[in-house]
Amino acid sequence: MPWSLHALVQAVILGVLTGGVYALMASGQTLIFGIMKVVNLAQAAFVVLAAYLTYSLFTLAGIDPFLSILITTPILFAVGVAIQWTLLRVLRPEDAAELSLLVTFAAALGLEGLLELVYNTTFRSIQPGYENFSWTVLGYQVNMVRFFAFLLSLTMLGLLYLILHRTKFGRAVRATVQNPMSAQLLGVNPQRVAALGFGLGAATAAAAGAIFGLISPFNPGSHYDLISRLLTIVVLGGLGSIGGSIIAALVMGVGSAVVAALASPIWSDFAFFVVLLLVLLLRPRGLFGARVRGAI
Amino acid sequence: MRLLKLCTTMAAALVVAGAASAASPPVKIGISLSLTGDFADPGKAAQRGYQLWAAEINKAGGLLGRQVEIKVVDDASSPDQVVTNYQNLITQDKVDIVFGPFSSLLTIPSARVAKRYGYAFIEPAGGGPKVFQQHLDNLFFVQPAPVVKGGDVFADYILALPADQRPKTAAYAKLDDPFAAPIADYVKGRFEAAGIKTVYDQTYPSESADLTPIVSGIAAANPDVVVSGTQSSDAFAQVKAMIQLKFNPKWLFMSNGANSPTEFPDKVGAKNTEGVFSSSDWYPDSPVAGNKEFIAAYIAMYGGSAADIDSTSAEAYSAGMILEEVAKKTGSIDNATIIKTLHNGAWHTLVGDLSWDADGAPNGEYLLVQWIGGKMLLVYPASVAQHPPIAPKPAWGG
Repeated sequence: MPWSLHALVQAVILGVLTGGVYALMASGQTLIFGIMKVVNLAQAAFVVLAAYLTYSLFTLAGIDPFLSILITTPILFAVGVAIQWTLLRVLRPEDAAELSLLVTFAAALGLEGLLELVYNTTFRSIQPGYENFSWTVLGYQVNMVRFFAFLLSLTMLGLLYLILHRTKFGRAVRATVQNPMSAQLLGVNPQRVAALGFGLGAATAAAAGAIFGLISPFNPGSHYDLISRLLTIVVLGGLGSIGGSIIAALVMGVGSAVVAALASPIWSDFAFFVVLLLVLLLRPRGLFGARVRGAI
Repeated sequence: MRLLKLCTTMAAALVVAGAASAASPPVKIGISLSLTGDFADPGKAAQRGYQLWAAEINKAGGLLGRQVEIKVVDDASSPDQVVTNYQNLITQDKVDIVFGPFSSLLTIPSARVAKRYGYAFIEPAGGGPKVFQQHLDNLFFVQPAPVVKGGDVFADYILALPADQRPKTAAYAKLDDPFAAPIADYVKGRFEAAGIKTVYDQTYPSESADLTPIVSGIAAANPDVVVSGTQSSDAFAQVKAMIQLKFNPKWLFMSNGANSPTEFPDKVGAKNTEGVFSSSDWYPDSPVAGNKEFIAAYIAMYGGSAADIDSTSAEAYSAGMILEEVAKKTGSIDNATIIKTLHNGAWHTLVGDLSWDADGAPNGEYLLVQWIGGKMLLVYPASVAQHPPIAPKPAWGG
């Protein structure tokens, strides 16, 4: 196996860029958990749905995948709100946490079935012509789409931070998370916050889907592999911590890429799980998990 | 007088035929196919091939004068469901004949069910090593060679090059799947024996959606030839990663995925297909007898054009052709007779003339194809080639 500095640095670059894409996907997941204590198993299906929407907008209307994020974000937001309103709101608070697992998994299967009906199971990929373009920097290849994806995910995460910390809605969200009863007494409508929060989490899948569709071939079943990755990232980062999920996504991206490039691809996911197990043994709440319930 | 005799013979024949179709029930053929799940697309392609064969033979008067009735049940791509399906088809629906499902994964357990009940198992899509390691005498794989030998023809081509033009170093990147990795391993065995040095050899799990890190490992080893044991989407992902990492080997062979006439250019971009090698058993321009008629009938039944036809449809259709030939030769569709008969002689199909060893592994070889000028052309063996092979591979997008 070639073990050179060049190969190592190239793998780290790949890992950081891929990690950025996963961070974007995982941010919605951890947001939804943070707000509602709902482990949303449909988050990856939202990403795949967004990838298909982007694909259709590009193939039918010629809209650039990055531009189409402006169109798909409100659509995904609406899908999220609709799913929360119809499926999750009706759960009784006592067993909402457990049942939401089943309900969101059902939503994921429903979305998958719907996508299979419309698009078949054939693999698709979005090809605007620049999807494989790379810059050569000091002899290393930096893929343009992944680089922009990385910037985009930082931007989206920054926006999320602003929404949560600088808007009235964000304050309502955080208040609901910290103490639903007091928030309600102060005039916050928790149902409304939950629906909008779920919508916001789903909306982050729009950008993630566009990127996902650009970097890898996908079909309606792609969400299974994605969701397992997102869940491990969110757990490693600490459920509910957006900052933690970014760090965890980077750890996973770099770890997997370095192990795959320099050791063996068979061990790359395994290596990540070893890290995950160790972290959970030493720090059961994850790297940045909140000690108090609900600090986002 | 002679005319009269002819007339009576014809009348008698009509009576016999009439009596046969009135008296004999249809020949029931049971097949479990993946109409949903991972193999849904190739599963449906196989279904189209089987249905087309049945429609054609029924138009021509049926099998031994009996109409053919195909019963397809969905196994959702599950190896458990497929066992239940064949058990039900044989014991409850009491079908006369069974044909195989899609993929080695599903063929392995179902062939055992067929064996238990003494059924012949003519199957178009299960050619992984484990299929033949079961040593079942009732199994017949309807492709030119076991899947592990899918790259054999590429090794033939490379090793036939003058020594100074041969690659010196090779990389093997393969999907952990009985249908993919063994192909690259087989080529590796032959290349190493011929002195081509292995500089990279890795297997990746099917969950690896992003193959960029793996390709970065290959690029660091900088081999002359890359042999990829691929299935479908991983072939596209490998190509994408090679372009992104600006790595262009002198030869690139991909076992599957790159031999799909419509999907490959669609997924990697038509201009990036140039120079990629793959192997195939059936393609629309194949000169094999009966191919033109098959294509015409296919388009009449399903629409589209010849380029839309999946080779799986031709393979499934070929399974039917084999049954038809046995029936014609022996006048019987008894399973024991079919099994005994198929172990001798060669049988004409759309994927060439087939014969099998004792385990049902075909004795032939695949054809080497290469993407040239946006088309997948037959380049080796030279006796049937449409174009000489191109090496070194042109730059990506060029």
